Amino acid sequence: MEQLTLPKEKLPELLGEIGSKFELIGPKEENGFLAFRKINDPKEVNLDILLSRVPPKSLIFQQTETLFTYAKGKDSKVQTPKIDESVRVIFGIRPCDARGYDIIDPVFMGKKEGDYIDPFYTKKRNRSILIGLSCNEPDTNCFCTSFDDSPANTKHVDILFTDIGDTYFVEVVTEKGEDLIKNLSKIFSKATEKESTIRKETERAAIKAISRKMNTEGTVEKLDKMFDHEFWVETARSCIGCGICTYLCPTCHCFDIQDESTLKLGGRVRVWDSCMYEEYTHHASGHNPRPSRMNRVRNRVYHKFNYFPKNDGIFGCTGCGRCIDYCPVNIDIIEVIDKVKEANI
Amino acid sequence: MVENKELIKVVEETVSRDDVKYVVGYKRGTYGFQIKPAFAYSAKDAKEFFYSPLCAKNLATYPLLEEKLPLRRGEEAEHKKIGIVVKGCDSRAIIQIIQEKGLEREDVVLIGIPCKGVIDPKKIAKRFPKQSKFVDVEENNNDEYILEIGGTSHKIPKDELLSDVCKSCEYPNPLLYDILIGEAEEEFQPEHFNRVDELKEKTIEERWEYWEKHFQNCIRCYACREACPLCYCKTCMVDLLEPQWVRRSVNLSENTAWNVMRAFHLAGRCISCGECERACPVNIPLMELNKFVEKEVKEMFNYTAGLDTEEKPFLGSFRPDDPEDFIS
Repeated sequence: MEQLTLPKEKLPELLGEIGSKFELIGPKEENGFLAFRKINDPKEVNLDILLSRVPPKSLIFQQTETLFTYAKGKDSKVQTPKIDESVRVIFGIRPCDARGYDIIDPVFMGKKEGDYIDPFYTKKRNRSILIGLSCNEPDTNCFCTSFDDSPANTKHVDILFTDIGDTYFVEVVTEKGEDLIKNLSKIFSKATEKESTIRKETERAAIKAISRKMNTEGTVEKLDKMFDHEFWVETARSCIGCGICTYLCPTCHCFDIQDESTLKLGGRVRVWDSCMYEEYTHHASGHNPRPSRMNRVRNRVYHKFNYFPKNDGIFGCTGCGRCIDYCPVNIDIIEVIDKVKEANI
Repeated sequence: MVENKELIKVVEETVSRDDVKYVVGYKRGTYGFQIKPAFAYSAKDAKEFFYSPLCAKNLATYPLLEEKLPLRRGEEAEHKKIGIVVKGCDSRAIIQIIQEKGLEREDVVLIGIPCKGVIDPKKIAKRFPKQSKFVDVEENNNDEYILEIGGTSHKIPKDELLSDVCKSCEYPNPLLYDILIGEAEEEFQPEHFNRVDELKEKTIEERWEYWEKHFQNCIRCYACREACPLCYCKTCMVDLLEPQWVRRSVNLSENTAWNVMRAFHLAGRCISCGECERACPVNIPLMELNKFVEKEVKEMFNYTAGLDTEEKPFLGSFRPDDPEDFIS
């Protein structure tokens, strides 16, 4: 892995150059929170706030995706939208959010030959080059280390930037990353041994700053035995059934497909959906297999901590902490898993 | 000041009654300034109940979240009361729901708490970030909040952390209750909800730009609806597919439709607890819409929601002597 450095004052120059050659997406402050948006001026980039409110999954698994459009009448034709495949650089993505893509990739891109490959997700995923940014100061509810992850993990990005004082320590992880660097003018320098040491120390300090921990050991097996436990009724009592935990989750990926039309035009859209809604499992017959909040809260926990590990060998949680941060009734997933472990069966 | 001992005692007594199913109140949350709804099914569950200026959440939404699941053969529906800890605004929510026949007075036992205003969770989290342990806050008699973090005591002027809706609250004391804890607070002079006044001074174009900026961020998670005690329709019209009034596509047009519709459906019904705005994950200033509508309803029809269970609902009443001046 190539190790480079970039003086901080050169960052606008770098972003300017990337922006002139490719589409550049980055974290921008808007209405008091961070959002990933198209960057027109490097000055718009905000690297002080840790996480974007809505995770950058929305860049690849868009909240609203038009699958096709049609016009009514004699000459009606179904038109599929052309999906942009030109290179797009996503700058400033945090390692946990980048890991979120890796977790949901099998859902949309298939696991084995013959699996359906979703063109919308796949093309957006393939066109994106991820320039990650290590988290030097993790927040209250960060717990990525509980999933053998690190706030400076290089594994899920193409290039990783780590703030080591006056400079960024730049690790070029993948071929995609190498190609991008080659395309840019020579503003990077080779990293020294000393800088490499500072980078490691920075990572260690960040790991130490993470105060919350989820103990996931044995969770899958324990959950196998407590589907009908009273615990789920108690846990779901305070749930008001909003979709915050699912919409702000970097790995939640449920969607609904709807036909929307006007008198002359119409289209089929794919929109985010949430298992926290009563309507989500409501059958046309009127029957609902998940009739109460208990069923829905339980399903979400099982999906992340039982079904995901069984199907894909990975927990469906990145430890970003958003669901804990924004739950209006403080349903805290770390506490839920702790209680699962304590529950008598 | 609400004595926690007294609160716990009252909750214990209430939940021990044969006709009460459970009592919902507040308990300490898992980190920072978070509180959690607490449910007592027996006297021993009451021990964790507490009250402090952090207890902003309006719990009036819970009796309506009760699921009436299909009964098994031979099973009979339970007709038991739900105990709820209510502040002034929360009690008004209950009054409004009873007025609309969403609940019967006998369905609930109200444990009233005279409120001195609650802390805005966003303001306090910004002031004291990164608190991984629960921190409680007390209010002294000098209009200051006192909290202790890592052995250091902090005194913050109340005005800096108080929720905006509380500054303009006219009814801090519960208007409907079965048991009142402590003494009723003295009425204080409410301020105008400044944010609406500021908005009214803007031109229509500026206002549109302002709302456009906010509505385009809406992710339609419907947390505003679910958190609202008055949004309890069995099927919300945005969930309807046939006819589909609001499309599922998330874009400025549909988001605007949803947000405006939500505010309109609360005309003469919103009791200004601020729960929708607190729940919104993308900081949409929803109370500005609600307060705007509230003001119009007051000025045109001299109507205030949630004051009297016997009164007719705003949209179901007609008075020839409305103060409105738009028809002459």
